[in-house]
Amino acid sequence: MTRVGTALRLGAREFRRTPVLVALLVVAPAYVIGLFTLVAPDGRAVLHLVGGDTVRTTLPEAFPAFTTPMTAALLAGVAGLFLMHSAADADGRLVVAGYRPRQVVLSRLGLLVVVSAVASAVSVGVMLTAFEPESLGWFLLGTALTALLYGMVGVLAGVLLDELPGVYLILFGSMIDLFVFQNPLATSRPDLATALPGHFPLALAMNAGFGGGVDLGQLAGGLAYLAALTAASTLAFYRQMRVA
Amino acid sequence: MSDVGRIATGTRSRLAELVRQPTTLAMLVLLPPVVIEMYGVAMESFPQVLGASADPATVGRVTGTLFAVAFLAGLVGLFQVISAASGDERLAVAGFPRSALLASRLVTMVVVAAVAAVVAFAAFAVRVEVAAPALAFGVLGLAGLVYGLLGVVVGSLLPRELEGSIVLVFLADVDNALSSGLFPVDASASLPVVGELSATDFVPLYHPHELFTAAVLDGELADGHLAPALGWVAVLLAAAFLAYVRSTGDGAFGGWGA
Repeated sequence: MTRVGTALRLGAREFRRTPVLVALLVVAPAYVIGLFTLVAPDGRAVLHLVGGDTVRTTLPEAFPAFTTPMTAALLAGVAGLFLMHSAADADGRLVVAGYRPRQVVLSRLGLLVVVSAVASAVSVGVMLTAFEPESLGWFLLGTALTALLYGMVGVLAGVLLDELPGVYLILFGSMIDLFVFQNPLATSRPDLATALPGHFPLALAMNAGFGGGVDLGQLAGGLAYLAALTAASTLAFYRQMRVA
Repeated sequence: MSDVGRIATGTRSRLAELVRQPTTLAMLVLLPPVVIEMYGVAMESFPQVLGASADPATVGRVTGTLFAVAFLAGLVGLFQVISAASGDERLAVAGFPRSALLASRLVTMVVVAAVAAVVAFAAFAVRVEVAAPALAFGVLGLAGLVYGLLGVVVGSLLPRELEGSIVLVFLADVDNALSSGLFPVDASASLPVVGELSATDFVPLYHPHELFTAAVLDGELADGHLAPALGWVAVLLAAAFLAYVRSTGDGAFGGWGA
């Protein structure tokens, strides 16, 4: 575990030494959530929550609420993708130097958890200037779960794809899933929406945000999806390490 | 070797690099049609609360098509410049004119954007009847050019993949939402010389979106949107030129054209 902790600390230090990156972790959520809040048209909104509840609210409250998990997911997804790419050479050397592949994998996944937590906390912090969820803790958990899921998608994409198609996939994947398919402003959801990574965590966040009550089944579904994605990305990363 | 020969050689070399990555090629061909169809299907489930004026599926496919081409070109522009940062500097030191190096990067970006535009337009035209196909295709190319240049600028200013990608992704995300016309943005300001400017004038994809919508639905050139779109191209081209010179040299212009 000491080796895992050392590799994790070194990875975090590398992030800290990149001030532009740290600034982006704060500025990007402020830019996206702030702008969507600013341009949200005045007017009432009817939200169709997963589970059948319908909630009446305003568009200036609805927009920051559903752009927050999306913003955290985008940041974690892109970070997960490049975490794998930038790590490939260095991690190969760690394995040659005596690290076990599973220790390297654990340290990288730990770093992804840190990035997801920071992205979620900053995004929710920005959102609170415009919208206060009914249950902040559950909303934060839903947001963090969304970020972690897309972080894992990023890890998988980072192992399996080149950078260009990887970024393309993360942007369009998260936009289509979180902003369009899972959007509570939609009167109905395509069947495909329930199979996408954002379904359970966004349902959890929206229910927590707008008082629809927390459904532990949604939490369980999100965690199961996360476990499956983590297993797949760990396996892919582990194989890459073994090859390296 | 003449400058044209150098540009052709550089472009062939860049394109060969892309062709050697089969997953990249496959994604370039497969993703635009998937994105366009997904946008169309998803938009059908939206209520009229957002400002859609036409059939929601068509609005979704219009938005998806423009976004797919533009962002793809933007990414290619970004990665072209990031991969150029060290290699081009050496080539410039070895006597290769920076103008030829930049031109080969830009031509590569334009070629990829054109291929993406062909793929996306074909996927779009299968599902939506296009009133003026040539005009609509030209506008798609224009959108690709705008974003490709934006990618070059971002890549020159933030020459690391993670940071550059985050900036481009977040710019594109907001741009796509605001330029789609789904959000009624009223904010405007009056500036001396320039005149009245709407908030949407500040998002690069807004004018190409208006041009594409008019070409697809009405078969005409949207009044007042071509000049601002070309203005974006001119401004971004100048910015890309300055940023590229700065990123591949010592910041001075002495090496340009050497």
